[in-house]
Amino acid sequence: MHEKSIKVLIAKPGLDGHDRGAKVVSHALKEAGMEVIYSGLHKTIDQIVRIALQEDVDIIGLSIMTGAHIPIVEKLMKKMREEDIIGKTVFVGGVIPAKDVSKLKGLGVAGVFPGGTPLSETIEFIKTHMKKA
Amino acid sequence: MDLAKKVLQGDEKSAARLISMIEEGGDEGHRAISLLFPHTGKAHIIGVTGTPGAGKSTLINKLAVNFAGKGKKVGIIAVDPTSSKDNGALLGDRLRMRDAEKTEGIFIRSMANRGYPGGISQATAGAVYVLEALGKEIIMVETVGAGQTDMQIYFLCNTIITILTPDYGDEIQLMKAGLLETGDIVAINKTDNIRAEDISTDIAAYICQTKTKGWQTPVLTVQAKEGSGIESLIDAINAHFVYLNKNTHGKDLKKEKLKILMFALLKEEIWKNALNAWAGDKRFEGIVKKLQKREIDPYAAARKALKITGL
Repeated sequence: MHEKSIKVLIAKPGLDGHDRGAKVVSHALKEAGMEVIYSGLHKTIDQIVRIALQEDVDIIGLSIMTGAHIPIVEKLMKKMREEDIIGKTVFVGGVIPAKDVSKLKGLGVAGVFPGGTPLSETIEFIKTHMKKA
Repeated sequence: MDLAKKVLQGDEKSAARLISMIEEGGDEGHRAISLLFPHTGKAHIIGVTGTPGAGKSTLINKLAVNFAGKGKKVGIIAVDPTSSKDNGALLGDRLRMRDAEKTEGIFIRSMANRGYPGGISQATAGAVYVLEALGKEIIMVETVGAGQTDMQIYFLCNTIITILTPDYGDEIQLMKAGLLETGDIVAINKTDNIRAEDISTDIAAYICQTKTKGWQTPVLTVQAKEGSGIESLIDAINAHFVYLNKNTHGKDLKKEKLKILMFALLKEEIWKNALNAWAGDKRFEGIVKKLQKREIDPYAAARKALKITGL
């Protein structure tokens, strides 16, 4: 009953108003046995980092459809450094062109899952990553 | 211990980490509670219970911002159910706490109940102590929302608000045990419904019949989304706290609740020890096999199994 449970934050940063994908991923992770906090729409980076801090999540997933993934991730990483929670794993999903995957990874993102990625792949990524941590 | 010390200095990150450790159930978390517990007992712990969709999170959002506006330091613990099917949980309460989330000084923590009965999780009491040690003066605990059996919260909190909506059912629901007798304050939410006035009169009349002395449970109407009725609700919450602190009955009740909370945790400890004793025990497996062959009934099997543990 008290075993370590994987706690995931699924966050929607910025102006984008579409969260069907984020909700589908949240539901799938819940079904995979994880504790999922869904942030809701229109969160600022400061808010996302504050949620991650208060909830002490193991991993943060950002769902971004606006094309602003690079500046958003840069901001997130900067804020995480400021709050000294840089150890938390970050992954990104949404509308992400193939050419940006390596850029995101260069910024410190551990996994990138563009639209259409099978849910099982995201689940497997989190489980494997949490085992290593 | 470092973490406990940092919590007492007001460090949110340490509080968040410590709550996770208490959830995991290890010795380190429990040692920290022992250090923090002497610093607790003064905050007003407010439980908010009611059926799913009654508006608990929305109401807590408004209450928290209002309390914070009056200079109070507020903490929120929102408990959601863990799935018995897949052990996962979707913690969605803070979604409805947008204003509270934006308000400086309000700490919100979501918790999955991890199979614990009674509307909270086993670690919720520990989380309340952590938030109080962090300096919170008002701590609101939102139950899972199963409703009628969310009783554990009663033993953890000083004041319970039961939220009902005009479509709660009929008067037979009011006559049942559970939800209504738990509440120190009843708030009827979503009062744009045409039946709202009649319903609050019905409920108030029912409560008057059942409670003849001591605290008289007020029945208030609110519109949590718009925030109307919140000031009256806060007056009632404060009045109940004053009542508890001034009154011998209130002080005795606080002590009694603490004892019963300990009993609830004791049950869990006994269960954990019993599970360990049964693991791999041939006699236990024999009892289960006999039960499955219907050679022994479930009640007798349970009593026999208990004997193995030596309890």
